[in-house]
Amino acid sequence: MPLRLYRGDLLLIAVLLLPLAIAAPRLGGPPGEAAALLGWVGRVGGILGLAMLLVTAALSIRLPGFDRWFGGLDRLWWLHRLLGFGAFILIMLHVLALGLARVPAGLEVAVLTLFPPLSQLALWSGWLAWLAMVIFLAPTFQFFGRLDYQRWKRLHLLSAAALLLALGHALPLAGETWPWWLLGALGMAAMVWRKLLSPSLARHPYRVESVAPLARGVVEIALRPEGRGLRYRPGQFVYLTPLDESLTAGRGEEHPYTIASAPDDPLLRLGIKDLGDASHALQTVSVGSRAMLEGPYGDFFAVDYAQRDALWLGGGIGITPFVSAARGMAAEDEGRHAQLFYLANGPDRAYYLDELTRCAEDVERLTVTAHFYREQGPLSEAFLRHHCPDYVDREIYLCGPPGMISHLRDLLAAQGVPALRIHCEVFDFL
Amino acid sequence: MNKIAYSAFIAFLASIGTLVSVQALSSDEADDSSEARDITLDELAEHASAESCWKAIHGGVYDITDYIPDHPTEEEVILEWCGRESSEAWDNKRPGRPHSPAAERQLEDYRIGRLVDDQGEPLERAEAAEPPSQAEDQPMEQEAADTAPSPAEDLRLHRAMLGQPMDGHYRGVFTDRGEIQVNITFDLRDGHLTEVNFRHLAYRGVDYLTLEEDEDLYPVMVQHRRITEWLEGEPLTSIFALYEPERVVEEVDGFSGATLRGAKVISAMRDGLNRGVYSWP
Ligand SMILES: Cc1cc2nc3c(=O)[nH]c(=O)nc-3n(C[C@H](O)[C@H](O)[C@H](O)COP(=O)(O)OP(=O)(O)OC[C@H]3O[C@@H](n4cnc5c(N)ncnc54)[C@H](O)[C@@H]3O)c2cc1C
Ligand code: HEM
Repeated sequence: MPLRLYRGDLLLIAVLLLPLAIAAPRLGGPPGEAAALLGWVGRVGGILGLAMLLVTAALSIRLPGFDRWFGGLDRLWWLHRLLGFGAFILIMLHVLALGLARVPAGLEVAVLTLFPPLSQLALWSGWLAWLAMVIFLAPTFQFFGRLDYQRWKRLHLLSAAALLLALGHALPLAGETWPWWLLGALGMAAMVWRKLLSPSLARHPYRVESVAPLARGVVEIALRPEGRGLRYRPGQFVYLTPLDESLTAGRGEEHPYTIASAPDDPLLRLGIKDLGDASHALQTVSVGSRAMLEGPYGDFFAVDYAQRDALWLGGGIGITPFVSAARGMAAEDEGRHAQLFYLANGPDRAYYLDELTRCAEDVERLTVTAHFYREQGPLSEAFLRHHCPDYVDREIYLCGPPGMISHLRDLLAAQGVPALRIHCEVFDFL
Repeated sequence: MNKIAYSAFIAFLASIGTLVSVQALSSDEADDSSEARDITLDELAEHASAESCWKAIHGGVYDITDYIPDHPTEEEVILEWCGRESSEAWDNKRPGRPHSPAAERQLEDYRIGRLVDDQGEPLERAEAAEPPSQAEDQPMEQEAADTAPSPAEDLRLHRAMLGQPMDGHYRGVFTDRGEIQVNITFDLRDGHLTEVNFRHLAYRGVDYLTLEEDEDLYPVMVQHRRITEWLEGEPLTSIFALYEPERVVEEVDGFSGATLRGAKVISAMRDGLNRGVYSWP
């Protein structure tokens, strides 16, 4: 993630530092003597760590629009992980520093500080919170291989226990409790919204209008809103929860898919590639069945990026955000130019190419170039320059499989394109 | 990100593991010889001299070679029983008079194993002797007068129990039910106490050292401060006077109540002595 500060980040930093600021008069500056310094580090680590833990929980909220404060949902998840890991590390620093700070009083004292009699519930509650974190982070550390996404999500619910246990640890021991009540309430509220309320309140009912095969293992599903449709911009995505009884997998599960239709299309279209159980089953979802949509999320083509001419590089199913944008361009008379490179294995896998070419014929500002890996190998700088001589000066958008993304990033970096001008959508949060 | 968090996790486990195991190793030394091994009568009999003197008492085997020079009686008295099952002698220091609990505790320091028969079965259970009544609670001296001195008074017992600790700076703790209650530091100079200070004083979660003057338990803290003042400049053996704290501080009611006791201070100080010199003056 390139370092770009969003307005949400400032809010985040303020909330993160609040408990520390409140405790600062009590803590004072770092003392000079070693044991006292360790004690100070331990306390500061604990305060920052818990603040991070609670803010991490609050960041799981997932509200349409709110994610744009942070540069889109994928960046929000990135922040969530960053702070989550930060909390985990600081919490361990907290434990270790406080333990070591007591070593001068004797090793027993140090060990007893960390492992007191069971009657000291608050302390053990802290250990349990840590243990819960270790358990739900285990798949991330790949202790026993990678869990599938739905199992991972269920395991991740242990984070609620971690949050409560961490509060159970801190509230009885903390010097001042109101910041913890405040942040704890924010974190809990986010979780309650996310797991208990949003499934019924935030989802919009749609019906499957048509399922059109585009290529082997890829379909475009068109959905008609039962009520008022979602308002979205190109490059945004939704969580799709199909309710079709005949689905063999993924019924009632939510999965993120990028919207492929133009914002003014009365139908909402999703291009879906068979990448696993749930997306496989969707290939044959029943026409007329119900599906719930939550969103829109993300901010791939954010309006506050520089509005210079754009270079679009889409590969595989990563073409979907550009399909939406290209379809939308017909409705707008003016705007910046865009050149799309459609990176596919071969003509048979360039499933949206015909329609995109038609769009480009209608819209003067849009150019589409196909590049086939089987025939031409990885995209080269010469190819790029030949078809788009000013590509270095454009605002660049990438979406596609990880291999393609890293190849393109290297290529662009070698040409001196600043990282801040490259925008990237990944189709995997983990 | 994953890698950093994972490395931190492993580093954390390693550090906690080290801390706990170093602590376990350093506190085990004292007692891991206690039930160490099985010793037969034959093996026992090989250690029947002043060079190596083992005795079996109530099922336990004790190597008291190092203790012989410190024993208050003539050497023959104690040597007579080397290499033998000596419970009888132990129980009849003088006819009908067993050794004191203090002596018994001291004896435990010399334990090296338990006595077994040829089949490896324990020969006699190391059962704790009945706690003797007050009158029998006597020092080890044979020539004791009829009115035995109290444990708080008996200087020779004190010397025997403390040995000759080196001059230096000491730190020790008393813990109970997992709570550190007393953590004390002191210096020994020519066998006399100086710089006696509490580093920590707590009971049931109350930190005495931070009490305000108007709090109920404040007097208890003051009594403890008196103890340290009283000990200042005294010979080390004077710590045993704290067995009867009324000798040292006034208003012992609060003191001997269910809070902090002189015995705990003695225990913490002896813990410090057992640990050895913490730092040299
Ligand atoms: C922002 C975004 C936009 C996407 N847009 C499209 C699209 O337009 N078209 C398309 O075909 N696919 C898209 N995907 C990918 C799609 O979400 C996954 O292919 C789908 O969830 C796979 O589910 P599965 O059960 O079929 O496969 P699984 O075997 O369960 O998973 C296959 C891969 O998808 C990931 N995945 C599974 N479930 C989720 C989830 N709920 N959230 C995030 N990742 C998950 C897994 O980590 C794994 O890497 C997008 C993903 C993201 C994050
Ligand atoms: C420490 C590292 C952490 C990582 C790597 C991580 C990662 C993630 C990811 C990727 C998601 C997105 C799930 C989705 O697709 O909807 C998520 C969701 C969530 N996270 Fe975390 N997280 C971490 C820590 C935490 C912590 C500490 C908490 C709370 C105390 C927390 C609470 C949540 C919640 C409530 C959700 C929504 C889960 C769901 O929808 O099932 N996470 N986390």
